[in-house]
Amino acid sequence: MPKPSDLLQGTLDLLILKSLAREPLHGWGIARRIQSLSDEVLSVQQGSLYPALHRLEQQGWVIAEWKNTDLGRSAKFYSLTRDGKKQLDRELEIWRRLSSAVGLLLKRA
Amino acid sequence: MTFSRLIHICRQRVQALFRRNRLDEELDQELLFHLEQLEQENLESGMSPSEARRAARLSLGNIVVLKEECRDQRRVSWFYDFRQDARYALRMTRKHPGVTAIAAVSLALGIGANTAILNVGAALLMGDLPLPDSDQLVIVRSVPPNDPRLVNHSSVPDYVAWSEGNRTFESMGLSIANQQDLSGDDIGVAAERVFGQAVTPSLFDTLGVHPRLGRVFSQDEAQTGMPARVVILSDRLWQRRFHGDPDIVGKAIRMNGKEVKVVGVMPRGFWYPIENSEYWVPLAFTRFQLEASGRLFMVTGRLKVGTTLEQAQADVDGISKQLELALARNRGWRARIVPLRRYWFGWILQPLLTLEAGVILVLLIVCANISTLLLARVPAWRPEISLRLKMGAGRGRIVRQFLAESLLLSLIGGACGVLVARWGVSILEALRPPPAGIKISGLVQESGILGLAVLLSVVSSLIFGLVPALVASSSGSDIREATTQRKRGSLSGILISAQIGLALILLVSSGLLINSFIRLVFDDRGFNPKGLLTFQYRIPVEDYTKRFTSYRGLPGMEITPPTEAIQRVYEKLKTLPGAESVAGSSAPPLNGLLLPRATLHIEGRPDPTTPSEEAAANVVYFLVTDNFFETMKTPLLRGRDFDSRDTRSAPWVAVINQTLAQRLWPGEDPIGRHFTADAAFGERPREVIGIVRDVALRSVDNGVPQAVAYTHYLQQPERYEGLNTGMFGQMTFIVRSNQDPAVMAAAARRAVAEVDPHRSLANVQTLAESLGGAIESRGYPVAALAVFAILATILVGVGVYGVMSSSVSLRAREVRIRLAMGAKARDIVGLVGVRAFWPVAAGLMFGSLGSLTLTRLLDGQLWGVTSTDATTFVAVTALLIGVSVAACFIPARRAMRVSPSRALRIE
Repeated sequence: MPKPSDLLQGTLDLLILKSLAREPLHGWGIARRIQSLSDEVLSVQQGSLYPALHRLEQQGWVIAEWKNTDLGRSAKFYSLTRDGKKQLDRELEIWRRLSSAVGLLLKRA
Repeated sequence: MTFSRLIHICRQRVQALFRRNRLDEELDQELLFHLEQLEQENLESGMSPSEARRAARLSLGNIVVLKEECRDQRRVSWFYDFRQDARYALRMTRKHPGVTAIAAVSLALGIGANTAILNVGAALLMGDLPLPDSDQLVIVRSVPPNDPRLVNHSSVPDYVAWSEGNRTFESMGLSIANQQDLSGDDIGVAAERVFGQAVTPSLFDTLGVHPRLGRVFSQDEAQTGMPARVVILSDRLWQRRFHGDPDIVGKAIRMNGKEVKVVGVMPRGFWYPIENSEYWVPLAFTRFQLEASGRLFMVTGRLKVGTTLEQAQADVDGISKQLELALARNRGWRARIVPLRRYWFGWILQPLLTLEAGVILVLLIVCANISTLLLARVPAWRPEISLRLKMGAGRGRIVRQFLAESLLLSLIGGACGVLVARWGVSILEALRPPPAGIKISGLVQESGILGLAVLLSVVSSLIFGLVPALVASSSGSDIREATTQRKRGSLSGILISAQIGLALILLVSSGLLINSFIRLVFDDRGFNPKGLLTFQYRIPVEDYTKRFTSYRGLPGMEITPPTEAIQRVYEKLKTLPGAESVAGSSAPPLNGLLLPRATLHIEGRPDPTTPSEEAAANVVYFLVTDNFFETMKTPLLRGRDFDSRDTRSAPWVAVINQTLAQRLWPGEDPIGRHFTADAAFGERPREVIGIVRDVALRSVDNGVPQAVAYTHYLQQPERYEGLNTGMFGQMTFIVRSNQDPAVMAAAARRAVAEVDPHRSLANVQTLAESLGGAIESRGYPVAALAVFAILATILVGVGVYGVMSSSVSLRAREVRIRLAMGAKARDIVGLVGVRAFWPVAAGLMFGSLGSLTLTRLLDGQLWGVTSTDATTFVAVTALLIGVSVAACFIPARRAMRVSPSRALRIE
């Protein structure tokens, strides 16, 4: 479970969970999606993506399955578990509170 | 955490553990796929193929590190570390079979003994008693004003007041031992004396038990002065005497020659309050008993649900205070609530605690000893450890590796310890409490034994493993080897001191107990039990008491002590061939259930007024025959024994014991003085004609000497009115002979049958048996402690030897040079021995101080020795010094065997 202070790791987990919310994706796909959804602003440090994915898998938030890609290449697809969906909601809530608090603070400061 | 997530996580961990290769392969595949995608993208953006591959690899970073990071997420590295540690531990235990064997054997004994004793203790404190809701059952006892150690049962007025006035008890019942002759003629077997209890009808309700056949007693069957002629049989008696007759209820059987109707049979295995209870008859109080009675009745109470012992105690305290005001006989007497469990098992807890203290010491010595042995091995491992530390292994990792070895040793010991523990429980069973016949082994839980053995193994491994592990792991980081070596040396010294100190405490304690036990077996008890046979001859109370009048509603009993009937048997027994001397006593001379008492009024002195004066004049009171002291071989200190001069018509006389002489005539000569006992109405003054040595009244007493008065049984009122105290109609005969006791017993039975064919003899036994039974049960814990003391001594020897031989081998070079230079054997022994001197001396010092403090706790368990017995202390210290010197000497000798010339060549 990410600690509140562990912002970077927590954020990466949130981004991964969010990008899996719509459909199962492989690691490469997740990296792509984060990049494209953020209009190329956020680019995931590709090396840190896999340990994060494996950690989420060990924690039971995501589940992995080997499937063929559209091009017929076998790849490891990750999808959210039911618990993962709830975790995503929780993390989103935390994120909203945090970002609005930070936003407020920046506005007033 | 939700259940599905838990399942998911478990599956992940299991895969991580057991399908590691597949997961690794998948990881490779996954990263390869990513690389391919990156490469593809790079190609599409116009890079050359080699450039595209290089860029892809760069953007993913160091792939080996990345894989390692991913693997770390599986969180099972502890498992692989553990496997490595286990392999190391197995290798070490195989490589040092000597250390492994010593550790396994000594740990097995240490852990096994602790496990057995703690489990038995827990079973006695918490195991199920064979009565429903037994934790609500208590015994209410009476404590006399003077000596709170002498706890009595209760009197009838006490019981009535408590059972009617209390607010904390569900119900109360009363019981008192009873014995009767079951006549055999009607069922074609021999007459038999059986033991049972007279009980109030409320007792069965209080206990919460129901008969398997028939019913329990009704209130009507215990109306004052009129006990109904009914009986409830135990299952055992029903099976044994009546062959389990299913129609027994309603039938009449003959007890003490009279017809008694069987109304019930209790369930199999039920007995109360002692195991020998085979029947129950109703206890109906007499008017006299309701006024005043001896404190002979056992009060069993069931507390109301939710009532604490303190509340119940406060409740009976309040009633007892009122009783003190109302009844003169109750002045100074207090009530004490004792849980049934403690009443049954309380006496065993103290020896058990002593044993437990002993075996804890053993386990600590074992740990210190193994610690020294492991520590001695550290230098050999230093190169490997430094290498590993330099390669980046954490100190914790190395500590853990050493601890794994300790844990393995400990678990081997613990596994063997389980066997020792099972064996130990069966030995402890021999300590079975006399008042209860509960099988201890039935109460001990197997899971308790296993659990405790594992727990003790783990704790022990930490105790003995931590110091060597810390020392070993620090040696690599320490640049100056010499410092480490010195530190290790002083640690070994401390461990040796600890072993010697603990062993001294253990040896002194067991030495004191052994010393005391030897005295208990061989000590002069004021009589010579060798060749003494005793048996009881008893005439039923009804045969010599008669209700003759009513006085203000109280029945007056007329008592005619059956002295002639007894005298006839006595005269007959005196003619027994082979009997050197025959005598009798109104109560068994040893281990009588009740000691009859009487209060003495001394001629020329005012009657006692304060409770303490009264208590001083209240003495144990025996009626005996001629030659009693001669037969017992009790030394007469002054005056004479009873003899044929002392007839009914002669002046009444008495013999008193030393304690009584001291107590009532301090500094005076009691011979020729007179006293009157209150044993019966119509007592006359008696002249003191002799003083005898104190005689033990129990095999193992509590060390409080009892004042005893002996009078001649012929010299008692012929016929009088009053209360039957039950001491007149029975005689325990004592026959001294050189012959086989069994032959003598048979001859005595025939002789008694000639005079009185209706009575059987009861409790036929030799006095040595009666003495031995109780002593034997004391012997087991002492024997167990002796075994542990021997073990501790051996371990100390092994420990000192281990340290010394390692220190000698480290200094082998110095020794060789000194030998070459012409040093004598003495110098070398001195050189080595001086290193052992301080640890041994410190250990002895610490042990002596510890012993002086701790053996005080043994005070109540010693017999004839004090807890600071100098002989024991000196002997034990000498033994430990001897063992230490021997353990130093062997390695020194070995070092010296090298000849000087060879020593030089080695150099």
